Amino acid sequence: MSFLSPSRIRLIAANTFLEAVRQKFFNSLLFITLALVASSTFFQQFDFGTSELKFIADFGFGALFFFGSILAITVTTQLFFNEIENRTALTMLAKPVHKFDFLAGKLLGVQLLMLAFVCLLSFVLAGILYWRETVLMSQFGPETFSEGRILRYGDILIFGFLQWLKFGLLGAITLFVASFSNTNIYTIIVSFCILVVCQLQYIARDAYGDMEQGVGRLLVQGLGLIFPNFQLFNVGDQLLFTSQEALPAATILRITLYACVYIAGFLLLAHLSFRRREI
Amino acid sequence: MVAMAESAISIRNLTKDFPVGISGKKLRAVEGLNLDVGDNEIFGLLGPNGSGKSTTIKIVLGLLEPSVGACTIYGKSSRTVAARRSVGFLPEAPYFYRYLSGRELVCYYARLCGVGKAGLAHDVDSVIDLVGMNEAAHRRVGTYSKGMLQRIGLAQAIVHDPQLIILDEPTAGVDPLGAAAIADIIRELKSRGKTILLSSHLLAQIEGLCDRVAILHRGKLVSEGRIDELVAEKQADSFVVEGLEPGGHAAVQKAIEAEGGRLVRVEKPRLSLDAFFLNEVQKRESAHEAAVVEKEDPK
Repeated sequence: MSFLSPSRIRLIAANTFLEAVRQKFFNSLLFITLALVASSTFFQQFDFGTSELKFIADFGFGALFFFGSILAITVTTQLFFNEIENRTALTMLAKPVHKFDFLAGKLLGVQLLMLAFVCLLSFVLAGILYWRETVLMSQFGPETFSEGRILRYGDILIFGFLQWLKFGLLGAITLFVASFSNTNIYTIIVSFCILVVCQLQYIARDAYGDMEQGVGRLLVQGLGLIFPNFQLFNVGDQLLFTSQEALPAATILRITLYACVYIAGFLLLAHLSFRRREI
Repeated sequence: MVAMAESAISIRNLTKDFPVGISGKKLRAVEGLNLDVGDNEIFGLLGPNGSGKSTTIKIVLGLLEPSVGACTIYGKSSRTVAARRSVGFLPEAPYFYRYLSGRELVCYYARLCGVGKAGLAHDVDSVIDLVGMNEAAHRRVGTYSKGMLQRIGLAQAIVHDPQLIILDEPTAGVDPLGAAAIADIIRELKSRGKTILLSSHLLAQIEGLCDRVAILHRGKLVSEGRIDELVAEKQADSFVVEGLEPGGHAAVQKAIEAEGGRLVRVEKPRLSLDAFFLNEVQKRESAHEAAVVEKEDPK
């Protein structure tokens, strides 16, 4: 079946990834993010005690979310419009390649890039936290660290994984906007607006919980369904410290499923829109 | 397998409208086009800018959907991905991934077209050899000249051994030597049994290359046929005579011989394709302008 050909999607994804890592924007942003995460260790002079670890973790998680969101939107937009403006999409789609395979390959390529970004940042953050925790352990002794290390390092990977899913969702939304947009600047602005809406849509959810039955409630409910709830992925506060309970596997699975359903949905919407687009 | 009697491309009553703005107005790019491209022929699609050549090619490639009508490639609807398995395409002024080498680029497109890993190296090497890019195949595409880009573009178009090859301005911006080399490759492809649909502005090259041509003007088919038939002046015979006025063959020959001259040959006088093309287009352009003037000022 030509529709949804895994081998073609893989080929397009690999080429997209190769193109993406060669871009100066990715390398610059990666460098800035790593520098920012590393700079969090300079705050030790404020003598936070063990709270320093929480500070570094929050700083790292914040940098991962902020720069990751910028990267997901801009790189998806750039790689899509590069293909359209340079007319390499024309050459590709004149071959036995379905338009859905093209979109899915682009998204997968961006996701590979985001995976590299998340992994690198997570390992750097974990390394910094491990180093600082070791220093603090020798500084504060057994009374603070009576039960050994206070950080669960595996949780950094869980946080990274959930952020990676969120970036995938953001990439799919951006691809959908790009599928009907004529310029990359329009795509970037609209996608950032949607990011803000998704990030704050829990307020609407709270609001319709208090509303009486009616058109208003239905409208808010509908909008709450159209725009995914990005707050679900913000689990940084519930992770990392051994004093807190670990995030249940069922919750991680539910969030993963939630992200996958929305990614598939936005990818299909992008396909419907892109199908009739003149290349 | 493709039946040889079947048309490579069959276009029936094809019309394509593009919406203009949000007013609901439409721009008609192609109107009621009927065209058949036979198997194993080199077919030229000619026309001035905006005549509907590119739109027609995009519809043949399944990149655009027709507003009305249908297009098939070897019997399969051009809208299907399956129809594109037997098609290779070189776009006008091609741009490829600059960071790949020529060989990597051809490999990439070959795999996209479903060429298996087993025969990949052989297939890629043979097309690179055919287009004469052996020495530069390891270099990055970003370092290629325009002529080299066209050649590597041709290689990616034929690497999966398609039966139909569509070339949009294959010699645009290429120097005469490069253009002649590309023409030789096209002839070689025909000798291998391929069908070639060619769009070009270089009419002299088309004339020496194509079996048949079609001329489009403002989305409509103006003329179609074998070049010899199109450019021949059917109403007249010409005599190429050394030193004598034309007349009846026998009388002239006698007269020539009587006068000490020699009848060299008798042939159909020909217009050049350039002249025919310009004549056809200008005739319709004048008619169109007259119609517009009359519409604006009926007096």
